[in-house]
Amino acid sequence: MNTIGLLLIVLGAALLVIAALGLWTLPDALARQHAATKAGTLSLALLLLGAGLLAESEGWWWRIGVVIVLLVCTLPVASHMLARAAARRGLTPRQIAEAQPMEPPAAGDGER
Amino acid sequence: MSLSVAVLLIVAAAMLALVLAIARMLKAPSVADRIIALDVLLSAAIALCIAAGLSSGRVLFMDVAIGLALVGFVATIVWARVVDRSGDAEEHA
Repeated sequence: MNTIGLLLIVLGAALLVIAALGLWTLPDALARQHAATKAGTLSLALLLLGAGLLAESEGWWWRIGVVIVLLVCTLPVASHMLARAAARRGLTPRQIAEAQPMEPPAAGDGER
Repeated sequence: MSLSVAVLLIVAAAMLALVLAIARMLKAPSVADRIIALDVLLSAAIALCIAAGLSSGRVLFMDVAIGLALVGFVATIVWARVVDRSGDAEEHA
């Protein structure tokens, strides 16, 4: 129980750092948003599950369920609205055109 | 034992993410990047709430995490609308 919880927390912490690193390394705004939203959601879910396994008390589990359901329901909506706003602002075509030469490798390892 | 290791791990990762996100927010190429950095910052804040709850053994901090998740959702949506509306006014023209 403890080992699994610790493993989940290690994975979640690593993913949180990867999400923050993705802000710096990915080529354009939409890709950065994918890094922040997807990796952020997964890392928070892993951290919450690991914390629930480590805490081993009743009151934790339904709160953890509420937070995870809330995050899974709200983060994609917020991310979608932000991506739509960024696309309408015309942020992306220039940046995508800039990133065009390195498109095949970037599309492969940026999206996982 | 493993509890304090877990708390230490979460705090270290969240601090690293906070530093990266705040630096990104300070020198971002566009407004959308600042909002994305704010999103990561809120994720790190929720992770710190989990660490606080684990280290003190109080469930109360999970309620704070629920509140932070709600506030982050509303904040991101409102900033997205601001970016959407202010498109023609400043930079786009």
